[in-house]
Amino acid sequence: MASDTSGAATSSVADLKLQFAPFSSALEAGFWHQLTQKKLNDYRLDESPKCIKGYYYNGDPVGLPTRLTLEFSAFDADGPTPAHCCPAIGTLYNTNTLDAFKTSDKKALLEKESKEIWDDIQSGAALKDPSILSRFILLTFADLKKYHFYYWFCFPALCFPEAIKIIQQPSVLEQVFSAKQIAALQEAYDDLAIKRETSAVPYFLMKYTDDTVQLAPLGDWDTFFTDTKKVTVGVYDPCTLSQHPGWPLRNLLILLAYQWGSKLDTVEVLCFRDRTLQGSRSIQHSLIFQVKLPELPNNSACPKSVGWEKNPKGAMGPRMVNLSECMDPKRLAESSVDLNLKLMRWRLVPSLDLDKVVSTKCLLLGAGTLGCNVARTLMGWGVRHITFVDNANISYSNPVRQPLYEFEDCLGGGKSKAMAAVDRLNKIFPGVISKGYNMSIPMPGHPVSFSPATQAQAQRDVEQLEKLISEHDVVFLLMDTRESRWLPTVIAGSKRKLVMNAALGFDTFVVMRHGLKQPPVSQNVSAGADSSPSCSSASSSSSTPAGSAPSVPASSLFSNIPGHKLGCYFCNDVVAPGDSTRDRTLDQQCTVSRPGLAMIAGALAVEMMVSILQHSEGGYAVASSSDDRMNEPPTSLGLVPHQIRGFLARFDNVLPASLAFDKCTACSPTSTNGRSEPQVAVWLVVSSIVNCWSTNVYEQGGGK
Amino acid sequence: MTQVSTGSEADCMEETFHHCCQLLLQQSEQLRDGWSWESVQGSQVGYLKKTVLRSVDINLSSVWDQVGSSSDSGSHSVCHQQQQEKSALVASYDADSIKEDITDDDGGFCAVSKDSRKVLQYEYHILYSCSYSTPVLYFRAFTLEGRSLSLEEVWSSVHPNFRIRLQNSPLNTITQQEHPLLGQPFFMLHPCKTEEFMRPVLQLAQDQNRPVNYVLTWLSVPSLTQQPQAKLMLQFFASHSQVAVPMRKLKKCRAP
Repeated sequence: MASDTSGAATSSVADLKLQFAPFSSALEAGFWHQLTQKKLNDYRLDESPKCIKGYYYNGDPVGLPTRLTLEFSAFDADGPTPAHCCPAIGTLYNTNTLDAFKTSDKKALLEKESKEIWDDIQSGAALKDPSILSRFILLTFADLKKYHFYYWFCFPALCFPEAIKIIQQPSVLEQVFSAKQIAALQEAYDDLAIKRETSAVPYFLMKYTDDTVQLAPLGDWDTFFTDTKKVTVGVYDPCTLSQHPGWPLRNLLILLAYQWGSKLDTVEVLCFRDRTLQGSRSIQHSLIFQVKLPELPNNSACPKSVGWEKNPKGAMGPRMVNLSECMDPKRLAESSVDLNLKLMRWRLVPSLDLDKVVSTKCLLLGAGTLGCNVARTLMGWGVRHITFVDNANISYSNPVRQPLYEFEDCLGGGKSKAMAAVDRLNKIFPGVISKGYNMSIPMPGHPVSFSPATQAQAQRDVEQLEKLISEHDVVFLLMDTRESRWLPTVIAGSKRKLVMNAALGFDTFVVMRHGLKQPPVSQNVSAGADSSPSCSSASSSSSTPAGSAPSVPASSLFSNIPGHKLGCYFCNDVVAPGDSTRDRTLDQQCTVSRPGLAMIAGALAVEMMVSILQHSEGGYAVASSSDDRMNEPPTSLGLVPHQIRGFLARFDNVLPASLAFDKCTACSPTSTNGRSEPQVAVWLVVSSIVNCWSTNVYEQGGGK
Repeated sequence: MTQVSTGSEADCMEETFHHCCQLLLQQSEQLRDGWSWESVQGSQVGYLKKTVLRSVDINLSSVWDQVGSSSDSGSHSVCHQQQQEKSALVASYDADSIKEDITDDDGGFCAVSKDSRKVLQYEYHILYSCSYSTPVLYFRAFTLEGRSLSLEEVWSSVHPNFRIRLQNSPLNTITQQEHPLLGQPFFMLHPCKTEEFMRPVLQLAQDQNRPVNYVLTWLSVPSLTQQPQAKLMLQFFASHSQVAVPMRKLKKCRAP
């Protein structure tokens, strides 16, 4: 050991002083968990000293510090000590405040503990049970709000008034003992341990000849030693340094000096070290040396003592450990959720890019049956940013179908869905970053009264919606009417945001991604170079070419449609969005569907989003169709369809793909007045909605 | 799936598990390998436990940053970690600022000791999973202060060569889970693949009419043994024929 060199360098000096390696405290993670439990359930405000237990071990490989270890079982003072380890009795002072921790009288605590050791030495109790020589104090303060634990160990050691002179330098046992003696020592030690019904003996007496070694417990001194000119004592030594014994020897030497000091000339000390490497045991690296014990003062006053542990900086002071990461339930939930998702990657899909999913900011327009199920599936994927927009309150019929709400939420007129959904998400997973907006989405065909106040409100709603869409990466359309999806479709399209749309019939659903128009800057270039198949509208039988792309004869009309040519929810419509609830019978207005449908569609919408995110081209990915084979899937998770249309009556899904309609009321250039500047386009849309609310310009303009 | 395959050769029944553990403990005691049986108070339920200490020559936080930026963790958790480090620094300053009148007056009795903060303790628990009918490895690593490391920090304490190999290994399926008996957070080697990789090993042993200790063999599967605790298992592996019992005998313990 590097720190030992000073000892070797000064070895020529006659009056070399014996130095001891102090204990380093070592705490198992479970100790703090257990202290927390004890504090909460048992000690509470009780600050009185508690008996605890640690242990030390003499079989460490070289290089490890001399440790006194406390496990979670430390609070069970009568519990078993690990095999081949020596116990140490401790006193725990757990204070209620940091201030009490700071101001507690450390000197007095040490003196009190030392006095007990001294009393045990004087009374002879320590001769009968020498393990009580190894004591410790642990002063703690547990800040259970921050999970900060302040602590300070003390390993009391009584001191001689002067230095202990080394008569014979420490040597490795194998340089002093023959192989035969070493074998005899090992056997004698094991015999003694069996006799004492333990697997480790902290202190023992020793006599040896050239062939034999005899050991005896400390209490047998008078019968064991006939000649006390030179005695040999053994100490179970947790230190691994080649020139120094560990801490437990200190109080033994005081005991020897007190009991037999006047009779002893020199004391030979065996630092018994017993390690097993690769299954083979050895004790020959034990240390052996001789010392002359200084005289203790004649009075029976307790000697001076030392023992408070230094902190990592080498100064006298307490330590603090911050365990919020492994104890704060919120932190634990976060790391568990993340690791569980990574498990999926390690197990099944090594190339899965989870960060892309987790970091996606999702805007959920609608917090009803679809919104609730979409949110839950997003959380399952570890998505952190989930924002809700809804203007409804929770009604009595909702909770059974909308898994984020409970009966209580319906009382007193019902809580706002958007707000209640946020609260619930936080309860399910506090790591989520969720916001709710209780607002309406302006719809064409639903005229508002033309009072300045309502117009202004509509204008604010539009602006708010525009802002929200800008701030998110993916927009989910989960409302219960067709027309409310129109404005978000237009805005999200102009901002090039991925739109996931889910809509329910009674036993049918559609889940789709909207075509993602190419960014305005590169539009001309890529459109010109594009040689993909004909862009005829998917819905109309006419072969009107869409956009400016050249029409090329294609083998399959609907295969290999790139993301920027895919249609939106409104592309297949022959009418413009209007009030779908007006002029309908009650059952036509009703949005009743089979209860399982929303869960299926909501889950599929999220899963489709995740697959799209895994595609290198994201929303521009070529649409997969039902005909695509799975042998070369475009992403690690499989296909990236344009639409999933499900028919619950047949328990069947199909994956159609359709082209954007160049006269679409929502996504064609016409609907944004041909402007490429998103801001301008949106503003025009906004103002036209507000100003020409019921004039049906879109119904007239889009389709003509 | 694993659950469906009850009765196959690669299963390990709970009684078999306990029996194998007893044999393993006996041999561990001979080899002083440090395994112990920890039982839950007043019950038969328990687990094998072993703690291993290692000196690490690394600065945990800096290595962590490298790991974090490479691929393994999301940027959000890197941020988190840094906050964490920061708050730890600030707070430890708190502990330092507690002035003490205790003097270091040991009259030169105290030997200089090394900075011990770079020692890590690894704790391994082996439990029986009823759902998977296999042993499951739980583990955590912590500093001498008792602070558990994050999984990224654990990885950073593994030699880079090993790290890459292990992280690409399909067997390396680590997740975080509360310890079923202690309720404390542990990392867990997910047992979902255990049956799959045990089957050929056991089949081979049976074909050669060799005795097999299920738990020992499981511990000796390469990717398991290349975990930080590694080498100790090899010792077992080398001598496991001494303690192993014929699989046929063990099968008698099974429920019909």
